[in-house]
Amino acid sequence: MKFKKMRTEMQALVFLLPFLIVYVLFTIWPMIKGIEMTFYKWTLIKKMDFVGLDNFRKVLQDREVWEAIWHSTFFVFLSTPTMIILAIVLALIANRKSALQKFYRIIFFIPSVLSVAVAAYLGLFVFQPYTGFVNSVLHLIGLLPQNSEIFWLTETNLAWIVITVVTLWWTVGFNFILYLSALQEIPDEIYEAARLDGASDSQIFWRITLPYLSPLTKTITMLQIIASYKVFMQIYVITGGGPLDQTRPIIQLIYQTGFRNNNLGYAATMSYILFFILLVLSVLQYWMNNRKGVDR
Amino acid sequence: MKRRVGLLALTLLLSVSMILSACSGNSGGADDDAASDGKVSLSFWTLFDGGDGANMQALVDEFNKTHPDIEVKNTKLAWGEYYTKLVTAVGNGNGPDIGISHSSRLPDLIDQGVVTELDTPAADAGVDWNSYNQNLLSAVTVDDQHYAVPIDTHAFIMFYNKKLLKEAGLLGEDGKPVLEQSADGFVSFLKTLKEKLPAKVTPFALSNNNDDPFRLWWSLYSQLGGNDVISDDLKSAAIDKEKGIQAADYIQKLYTEGYIKKNDPDFYKNFQSGTAAMTMTGVWTTGTWESTKDFEFGAMPIPKFYDQEATWGDSHTIILPLTQDEDEAKRKAAMIFADWVADNGQVWAKAGHIPSKPSVLEKQEFKDMPYRSDYSEVASVVKFSKKSTKTAQIREEVAFKFLNEVWVNKMTPADAMNNMEAGIQKILSE
Repeated sequence: MKFKKMRTEMQALVFLLPFLIVYVLFTIWPMIKGIEMTFYKWTLIKKMDFVGLDNFRKVLQDREVWEAIWHSTFFVFLSTPTMIILAIVLALIANRKSALQKFYRIIFFIPSVLSVAVAAYLGLFVFQPYTGFVNSVLHLIGLLPQNSEIFWLTETNLAWIVITVVTLWWTVGFNFILYLSALQEIPDEIYEAARLDGASDSQIFWRITLPYLSPLTKTITMLQIIASYKVFMQIYVITGGGPLDQTRPIIQLIYQTGFRNNNLGYAATMSYILFFILLVLSVLQYWMNNRKGVDR
Repeated sequence: MKRRVGLLALTLLLSVSMILSACSGNSGGADDDAASDGKVSLSFWTLFDGGDGANMQALVDEFNKTHPDIEVKNTKLAWGEYYTKLVTAVGNGNGPDIGISHSSRLPDLIDQGVVTELDTPAADAGVDWNSYNQNLLSAVTVDDQHYAVPIDTHAFIMFYNKKLLKEAGLLGEDGKPVLEQSADGFVSFLKTLKEKLPAKVTPFALSNNNDDPFRLWWSLYSQLGGNDVISDDLKSAAIDKEKGIQAADYIQKLYTEGYIKKNDPDFYKNFQSGTAAMTMTGVWTTGTWESTKDFEFGAMPIPKFYDQEATWGDSHTIILPLTQDEDEAKRKAAMIFADWVADNGQVWAKAGHIPSKPSVLEKQEFKDMPYRSDYSEVASVVKFSKKSTKTAQIREEVAFKFLNEVWVNKMTPADAMNNMEAGIQKILSE
């Protein structure tokens, strides 16, 4: 009996081995190497000086780093709730029985297949002054006087709106698909019973649909927070981090420090700060979910 | 049972071979040198695309045809990733035999040990340094040693739309603008353009951020006699704030008084489509304007706004990155190639660049090309930036950042200079 169990485990291990080897080689090993780098002044061509904890000391006092971390955090606050609410709304629309059902599914999902560069450049064209779609529409419906323009990218607040809208448009399709499949798994009988009892549409939504979606929402929230903390490419294309670095996220600063300014050691240190933040958030989420589980 | 074991073995084998191939995937084309026929094979990395890329490929093809004992293989890399790739590749021993560098990037590459000095192979190859434009050559010389072979200058110059200038009565008999060469003269030139031309025509097409307005600022600052923004010992910020303010203030007014379109999303297109009377940008656009149908334009050095003639410029150079074997025969062959490219600058000039050898400017082939001769003289007044390893970083992370705010009228020129001084000092102290 014991032997049989061991044999199954051995078999599992053999099947897992290819993944494990790749995972260790390309994820675990670079992470260890990254920790090593934080203790050195380490350039792209490995001119190394051991500096001990200097990089960490420096990072604590570096205003640019904390500003960039704040910008990433700010983006998390902007994008996470909107990303979830919009995904639910779109899923509800696409889940209704109508002739357009297929059409909705396609158009809501299709932006997700674009590469980030394409999505960001499209955003850039749509929001540019004089010829951009947004300003043209505003002119057309008279919300914007003919001879004035909104300069979306030179005002920090407007730039954040542009970045968030583009990101929403580009990535909401993924959450939308998850919610759509979750909606389809809610048994019809429950809705029928509720209607027989005379529940209104809003009651059905708040008391049945939303609670059914809540496990998924928890997962999506966590994934979304992590994904939003890693924001980089669309900001890089749309504002380049400007104006005055006011939209520069931490990943951009890490990239600039490591690859443009040739200081990989310091960049690795910043990466570990971000890693630590994400780790704390993940543990917190795990802990909260587990506690809820016990309550039930 | 047996079959299952076989399957497992296969899976393992596949995964192991996948990993092995992933690890050894960097055997680039750099090692297949010295074929049995004694032909020297050289790998060459470039960052050119579009017209530049095509012209360089034409040069390489022609060189290979005329030099049976040398073969150059051109690898085009994306501009944005070029320097990072070059440095990492050289760092782990997979760099090319020949590379391209901007002269402004050269000090950083020298400092990192990516490029080698090339006086010995140059002597072997019979390169005559005196045949180069000395202003360009001084930009690639450190401690009396040459680190690169300049193949061009690409300077900041002025382009004008002949039709629109004529309409405004500002085109002379000789096809040149009627323009008094001074700061006030240029403003009154723009003022006339604005008054005489329809409202939808931009007098001066320029972007509102980053490179081109910076180049204009750099040119005016240099014309005022401003020192580089870095001190001679390369250790501290040495920005001449008064002159910097004067230059920035002058340009800011061009924006606020409506001579330059606010936040122009595409000033190249604005000029190219004939809705802007003039623009200033790099010589590399000559090729683009030239291929535009029914577009009558002229090219000239930027006006002399202040005391001395000066303009922004950089230069493409050919470098010999550090390689594992440092093969003398290869290095000599590389220098023969580099010098040959410079000698054939008339091909390279098709894009608009100014050849690095004065002798090329005398070639009939060069003279036969329109526009180039109108501005080739600026090669001698280009004010190159200091040979600091931090030049690119300072430009992109400090100068652009604060000057951009000045152009949209959100920061005073004085504040911008103070911020720039502090920012430059911070980078230099790191």
